[in-house]
Amino acid sequence: MTSRQFLAIVGLVQGVLLASLIVLIVLNRWFRLRRRARVHPRRLAVDAVMQRWALGQADVGMVLLRLARLPAPLAVDALVSWSARVPGDRWQRLAATLAHQWWARLVRANSGSARWWKRLETARFLSIAAVPADTARVLKLLRDPHPAVHIAAVATLERLESAALATAALERLPKLAPTVGAYYAGMLRRSRPVVVQLLLKMLRRTDDPALARLAEFAARLQEPALRERLTALADHRDPEVRTQAVRGLGSYPHAESIATLTRAAAAAEWSVRAQAVRSLGMLGDPQTLPLVQAALRDPEWWVRLRAGLALTRFGPPGRNALLEADVGPDQNARDMAHLMLGLSTQALAEFAA
Amino acid sequence: MTELVQTTDLVILVYFLALNSFYALLLVLSIPEIWEQTRLAEDDDFQRLMQSDALPPITILVPAHNEQATIEASVTAILTLEYRNYEVVVVNDGSQDGTLEALRHAFDLYEVPRTYPETLPTRTLRALYRSRTRTRLLVIDKENGGKADSLNTAINASRFPLVIAVDADTLIEPDALLRLTRPFLLGREIAAVGGTVRVANGCVVEHGRVTDARVPRHFLPGVQVVEYLRAFLFGRLGWNRLGGNLIISGAFGLFRKDHLLAVGGYHSSSIVEDLDLVVRLHRYLRLRKIPYEISFIPDPVAWTEVPESARVLARQRERWHRGLIAAMWEYKGMLLNPRYGRVGLVAVPFYTFGEMLAPLVEVLGYVITVAGAAAGVVSTSFALLFMLVAWGYGMLLSLWAVVLEEVSFRRYRRLGDLARLVLFAMLENFGYRQRTVWWRLRAFFTVWRQRAVWGEMTRKGFEATGKQVAG
Repeated sequence: MTSRQFLAIVGLVQGVLLASLIVLIVLNRWFRLRRRARVHPRRLAVDAVMQRWALGQADVGMVLLRLARLPAPLAVDALVSWSARVPGDRWQRLAATLAHQWWARLVRANSGSARWWKRLETARFLSIAAVPADTARVLKLLRDPHPAVHIAAVATLERLESAALATAALERLPKLAPTVGAYYAGMLRRSRPVVVQLLLKMLRRTDDPALARLAEFAARLQEPALRERLTALADHRDPEVRTQAVRGLGSYPHAESIATLTRAAAAAEWSVRAQAVRSLGMLGDPQTLPLVQAALRDPEWWVRLRAGLALTRFGPPGRNALLEADVGPDQNARDMAHLMLGLSTQALAEFAA
Repeated sequence: MTELVQTTDLVILVYFLALNSFYALLLVLSIPEIWEQTRLAEDDDFQRLMQSDALPPITILVPAHNEQATIEASVTAILTLEYRNYEVVVVNDGSQDGTLEALRHAFDLYEVPRTYPETLPTRTLRALYRSRTRTRLLVIDKENGGKADSLNTAINASRFPLVIAVDADTLIEPDALLRLTRPFLLGREIAAVGGTVRVANGCVVEHGRVTDARVPRHFLPGVQVVEYLRAFLFGRLGWNRLGGNLIISGAFGLFRKDHLLAVGGYHSSSIVEDLDLVVRLHRYLRLRKIPYEISFIPDPVAWTEVPESARVLARQRERWHRGLIAAMWEYKGMLLNPRYGRVGLVAVPFYTFGEMLAPLVEVLGYVITVAGAAAGVVSTSFALLFMLVAWGYGMLLSLWAVVLEEVSFRRYRRLGDLARLVLFAMLENFGYRQRTVWWRLRAFFTVWRQRAVWGEMTRKGFEATGKQVAG
């Protein structure tokens, strides 16, 4: 082959590739516009019939008919967006009817797919349309290695009451990244009776390395039945467990809570002290005011911040304590009081959030 | 002599073939990555999770130096981001214009005492201010010390475990922070994560937000849109799969604060702080065998104004290249060093031999090819082949970046914008590329003489309110 022939081949290949890319760009745009023109009116039709059905003006058969005309992923999208707007019992009837639809069966069958986005689609669908017969399928999706899939699957708890699902989610909760754990916790709150019974057992396992996370979750539930366990955990040897327990006690106005928090406000770990002071502020017992005021002099900034914010919850006596600290001898207390007194009510709420 | 010229030309040709093939590899690797990222970005459940209370709290660091024109709009936009738990630390780095006054007037600032230790050494602080209207905001006024010094000042003042450095002239999309935290939600060991920076010139900006993405009509900013797409959509996404992202944009990158403190924060002596910091992070984490990822995700977007004049652009590109040379020189111990894994064996060699030396080799290639062809020692066919490999391949890669944009995010909705993108991708190699090569080449002669403090750029600025076309 001569150099000219080689050059011609390279030039030709590049020219063809260049032209192909331009054609690809144009075709992609054209295809998308065409698809949108075809699918968008159908999606609008689904929205319209859903609206009428939600108001009791259309038959569920019409909804199913319109949904079947959409590609499965878009039908799932439409169901997800409407699920929050339709009352639960009405939605359950739709979910039960959907179980027999051909496209819904196909979506369900994808729960064992090797492709995670297919499993995700199934998980999203089941999160709003699962029926009791789907429990085993959802359990499998809850154990899925892809985070997006099990996060979608746990949302099933919002609509399907199942002790098996709640137990599986609660057992997974302590092993999850904090944010994902918090999302799980939000979902588990919907299955409160089952979860509280399970938690009461789990919080007795004092050697469980997951105890801190479980205590954090228990604190978020604010369930009266859990107060005694949280009070007991406030003396646990692990400071992280104590921190979470003490944080939780702020939701229980009870003499035992105040006594426990008063002890915790003198803990060696600043994280425990900070949460104790915060919880004392939430309870707002006037007898603890001097203790919270003293925390303004704590060597740790976070404790001082929590103390400052806590004082603002004591009403006029708390404000007086801040004014006193603002001109007092302690530099740390002065700085924090100055910071608190400079904030508006709205700002304080935002700061404390 | 003839043989020497021909051999050199052949070596340069092979160099370009290898370099562009590596880019092609990055492109191939970016395809599954962009597929996964777009799927996750569209997932409603994930978006619901991202709006929950338990998101990791973030401190946004905003260094500002003579930013009077844009500071109010930028800070207002940052303060209204869709994220529950964050604070904003603006550092006024000894500005000589009215930056501090603009902040004081816009946010009703009042002076507060300093309540944190100076973990990283910085220039003297003049005063700290909080806002009566925006409690998330802390403003620090300090003596001029450069961008790195300002960022260190903001890190010292930050309260949260994640920090994000944002340029004061950058417009962040409202949901960008939420999206940027996605890798953390996936339970990965993230040390740093970067988002996409796009060109704001030509776009419609309302109340500090880009409301209509447009491709500029002018050549210089327009061609930079293609450059940015290429750099972000397949360059950095491809590196995700190779495990060696060396650049997290200084204009928009989220870092774990404990790692930043462990490596001593930003180096005031570095020319390009972001590259220097990321290489140091890799070195630190690899040496201590700490599991980590430094990732790029494409859907969080920040918009920035790019230079419209050749003079400013030349200065910017020269500075970037000086920074690259200085960083590669400083961390030469990582080059081909197996202790640093794929970073030492792939990323650093690529940035050294590919990115850093490319302008030298390219200029040498032009000179030898043109002179050789004129002297008759290089055949016309060979000269044309050189051009095809150097330019044709580059053009293909730029067009691929446009394809990736089209199949994934499609920010530019109008056909006219798409046509301009394609046009700029094709024209980039004729004139513009050669000029950037020249600007980058100059960096080799200035690297030892200069140390940059702030990358100065003339900006038109985005208005605080109302509608305008940026740039």
